[in-house]
Amino acid sequence: MDSGQLDTISVKTSDNVTLGYSVAGLGSRLVAQILDNLLAIPITLIAVLLYGALANVFVTSSEGAGFADAGAGFFAGFVYFGYFFVAEAVTGGKTPGKSAMGLRVIRVDGSAADFGALAVRNVIRVVDFGVVLIGIVIMFFQPQTRRLGDLGAGTIVVRDRAMVTLAAAVSPPPIILRTPDAGPHIDGLDRIGSFEHDALRVFLSRPGLSQKLRADLAADIARRLLDRLGLPPGAPERLWPPELFIERVYLQLDQRHP
Amino acid sequence: MTIDAFIAERRGRWAALESAIKTAKRGRLRNQSASDIEHFGLLLRQTSSDLAIARRDHPDAPITEYLNALCARAHPLLYRGRPWRVGAIGPFFATALPRSFRAAWPYMVASLGLMVIGFIAGWVAVDLRPDLRASLVPSSLFDEMARGQIGTGVQDAPFAAAFIIQNNIRVALISFAGGMLLGIPTALVLLSNGWMLGTVAAAVHLGGYDYQFWSLIVPHGVLELSVIVVSGGTGLMLGDAILRPGDLRRTEALARVAVRAVLLVLGAASLLVIAGTLEAFVSPSSLPDGAKLAVGATVGLLLYSWLLLAGRTRRRRPSFRFDRPAETPA
Repeated sequence: MDSGQLDTISVKTSDNVTLGYSVAGLGSRLVAQILDNLLAIPITLIAVLLYGALANVFVTSSEGAGFADAGAGFFAGFVYFGYFFVAEAVTGGKTPGKSAMGLRVIRVDGSAADFGALAVRNVIRVVDFGVVLIGIVIMFFQPQTRRLGDLGAGTIVVRDRAMVTLAAAVSPPPIILRTPDAGPHIDGLDRIGSFEHDALRVFLSRPGLSQKLRADLAADIARRLLDRLGLPPGAPERLWPPELFIERVYLQLDQRHP
Repeated sequence: MTIDAFIAERRGRWAALESAIKTAKRGRLRNQSASDIEHFGLLLRQTSSDLAIARRDHPDAPITEYLNALCARAHPLLYRGRPWRVGAIGPFFATALPRSFRAAWPYMVASLGLMVIGFIAGWVAVDLRPDLRASLVPSSLFDEMARGQIGTGVQDAPFAAAFIIQNNIRVALISFAGGMLLGIPTALVLLSNGWMLGTVAAAVHLGGYDYQFWSLIVPHGVLELSVIVVSGGTGLMLGDAILRPGDLRRTEALARVAVRAVLLVLGAASLLVIAGTLEAFVSPSSLPDGAKLAVGATVGLLLYSWLLLAGRTRRRRPSFRFDRPAETPA
């Protein structure tokens, strides 16, 4: 249920099933950016040093040295911004920093970000980070934390990690304590469905609640169930202890949906 | 069906999909066999139908959350645009780039117009205030022209070429990216490039060195200025998509234009390698001025026959268009 509190985008697939993607927040985006810088900046420095070594060997005049110096600045810029583009293009939208944070670039329609989209978002990175960090300001106000490059490319950064494992997603089995069998038939069970069934199951799978809390909850649930079943005032079920009543309703619902 | 029976019956294929996702490398299924990919598609469709059932029957159960995350991770592996291949470069330059250039002609005309306005303004400024010539144009240029030294060549021409190429690519990419700020930086780049050329040309004209000057500019300038116009045009496209999105949302209109515009600007920017090489090796060389002008004319002829003629089909089929919505009548 964690992602219920995060921003999500809904994507309708070609199978007409709606997928929810949880959108990466500003914090994890910035941490990913910092991690990427830990790689991009050394790579840029090494590239510039190599460029300088090359220039020292081949430059023969002061005019050439001027060109080489000025060219080194541009070269650094290309290597730095090129790192992000190449890293995203090679990995399918996960730079090492994003990968470490469990983030991934996809298109807003849920498909993988392609070459063109990655090119757009990385060329526009120059504006996002070159013009007074306008990208961060826009990410702060944009509901889906997209920067200008994302808006231009139609991309979005989402969480790519599995939030729930299958083992954790399988609900624990219900524990039946009060009754050996489903008991006598209860009328009106066709008025309730799988929603109530699931709710009872959740209640019954938690025997560890304190006695008083469990009894109070059981009384509340049983009262609502009796109302919903529409049992007459004199029905024998109204006299059963709440927990016994709940277990019997649950077992009979179980029999109904094999 | 109870949630337990639902899970017990289907968890096998979820686990299979999960392990198939793990085998994908670099966000792709490229390393897998055709039958594996087909099976992946089957698993994804089955799992998304399980997700739909889980949403309906158990909306708050953790299993629904799990299935959603599983499908969300698998979906982009299967649904993706056409992959980028090295073999696509040829057709891109042969047909797609000239077609998208022609499809974007109003923006190219506007971009050229801005540069011409800058040029005329620069020319008029120098004509009105010839005394400003010294601050606009370095006087060493005139000395060199007077001494006929302009053709002595650049020393360390490879570094000059690298510098020029990188600078121009930077200008081209900034013109494109400036489109995100409503195209205002783009317009400024175009106006200032025109202005610089206009002031220098007017000052040179006053000094009477027109022929030497244009033989210095034209060999690389035809290509270089054309690329600046094209990249400016792509920036204007982005700005226009933001300002006048038509029936689409602004972000949608922008994204539709931008992905095609960036390919246009990257393709055009790759021509700057040729332009920079000409600028470092040919323009300042000791070749006769007439030969330099001939180089420029040839390059221009080749460039525009390619941009205007390549990739035309006999039937006028709009196969590569910027799918902007039709303008609503005012």
